Amino acid sequence: MYPSLSSSATSSSDSIRRRGGHVSPHPSTGTSSFIISSGPPPSPIQPDSVSHFEVVMAGNSSRDRTHEFINAVRSFQGRQINGHLPSSMAKSAKQNQLMAQSAEFMKIARSIGQDITNTYVKLEKLTVLAKRKTLFDDRPQEIQELTYIIKEDMNQLNRQIGQLQQIAKAQRSQGLQGKHQQSHSSSVVVALQSKLASMTSNFKAVLEVRTENLKESKSRQEMFSQSHVTQSLPQSAVKGFHSGSVLAAMEDDERQAQTNGQVAIAMDQSMALMQQDHTDQYLQSRADTMQNIESTIVELGGIFSQLAHMIKEQEEIMFRIDSNVEDAAMNVDAGHGEILKYFQSVTSNRWLMIKVFGVLIFFFIFFVIFMA
Amino acid sequence: MKLFSLLVLYKDDSSASILKASYDLSSFSFFQRSSVQEFVTFTAKILAERTPTSSRQSVKEAEYMCHVYVRSDNLVGVCLSDHDYPHRVAHTLVTKVLEDFTAQVPRAQWSTGTQVQGFSGPLDVYMKKYQDPNSADPMTKVQNELDETKIILHDTIKAVLDRGEKLDDLVAKSEDLTLQSKTFYKTAKKTNSCCGSWS
Repeated sequence: MYPSLSSSATSSSDSIRRRGGHVSPHPSTGTSSFIISSGPPPSPIQPDSVSHFEVVMAGNSSRDRTHEFINAVRSFQGRQINGHLPSSMAKSAKQNQLMAQSAEFMKIARSIGQDITNTYVKLEKLTVLAKRKTLFDDRPQEIQELTYIIKEDMNQLNRQIGQLQQIAKAQRSQGLQGKHQQSHSSSVVVALQSKLASMTSNFKAVLEVRTENLKESKSRQEMFSQSHVTQSLPQSAVKGFHSGSVLAAMEDDERQAQTNGQVAIAMDQSMALMQQDHTDQYLQSRADTMQNIESTIVELGGIFSQLAHMIKEQEEIMFRIDSNVEDAAMNVDAGHGEILKYFQSVTSNRWLMIKVFGVLIFFFIFFVIFMA
Repeated sequence: MKLFSLLVLYKDDSSASILKASYDLSSFSFFQRSSVQEFVTFTAKILAERTPTSSRQSVKEAEYMCHVYVRSDNLVGVCLSDHDYPHRVAHTLVTKVLEDFTAQVPRAQWSTGTQVQGFSGPLDVYMKKYQDPNSADPMTKVQNELDETKIILHDTIKAVLDRGEKLDDLVAKSEDLTLQSKTFYKTAKKTNSCCGSWS
């Protein structure tokens, strides 16, 4: 473990050294006792004299990067703890495996993250390119290449995230991880996927912008070149028009034959190798159309049966309404009859009337006598 | 979606001669028409010569699509259209035209190398009819009608759903009505039986 660690540490110190700093060895890391040889040979320096060292070297614009170095060493340790168990750290085999798995997971996730950032940078470049609206100086080659590259990258990222997900699932099924670790791994996967999805949607938007710009530029080109019928027709069409008014007939024909010949040569070159047979395409498209029609008809049949079903269900509700309304009608009729009976009893109840009027008259007389 | 021209050619061994042609160049300005017609003739000849026997091709040029069908008996049908015209319909049209041509014009006249009398009427009719591929081609017609029917059915289902809602409403109201009428009846009965002696 020591040799490998020292090599990795030296590499990290190399990188640190390249940045123009000087590293002072810190003997109290507990695992290492490196003496890193930088430019001027450091005398064995005590930890408390680090600041002194720094002041001394101030003129060389050095920085005290001890802590960074310690952290780098520690991270390397963590990565390589896999097969190299230091005797001082007695962890169980399970925990080691756990750490190994999580370390691997993290490594892969980190690489995916880096790839995503790279692809983002490319996408930004593509956006800048696609937004240019000039008629000329449009670099379709570059844009196409970039598009292709970005597409490839996205596919690869997709695959990598799929693999990561698989690994996460496998690790989860092994049952070693705690709840938090599982949720952490799943959330990492989800975050990566969401980043990829947002990038894909950005890519799509950029492609749409590009097609819009292409269409615009094409329409502007057509506006400028309105006198031409087609791109391949210009010579014969325009010259035909002019020559009719200027030259004699013979020369017209000659020249037209020539221009036709030129056009022929041009078209020859463009159509030289197009000997494809589109019969199967034609038949395939017919078959597709037929299939479409058939599926539409089947769908229509389904819709009809759905309709019938709905109507059948509603029929039940209709019955209920019907019975309710009939009940109501019956009740109203009965009530009507009761009131009629009552009315009859009232009208034919002469004794009742006499009694009532008798009481009234009695009271009336009583009041009159009282007043008078 | 426009159809620019229909041509029938006869191909013998590497040169093609036009037997009949019909053009619809109304979309071009007057002065360009003759040159466009020549261009069309020329393109058709070249394509007919370059297409192998019993095969179809659809070639794209700057503004046109050219559909070629070379039959096994060396009769060639060419159709020029714009880019939006569906390929399938164009090839169906060409096949139909060739069949009609075979039926009408005897084989002896094919290899004369000059224009043939007698078929121009149907060719022009075909040109006119197929200017609108959606109505001329039976398959697209059927497809469109089916789509319309589907839309109508969707609307019907929506209407039925609305009807369902209204029916639910009606049920509630009719239940209310029943209860109210029952109350009415009970009150009437009560008025009748007791306190009958008072007015």
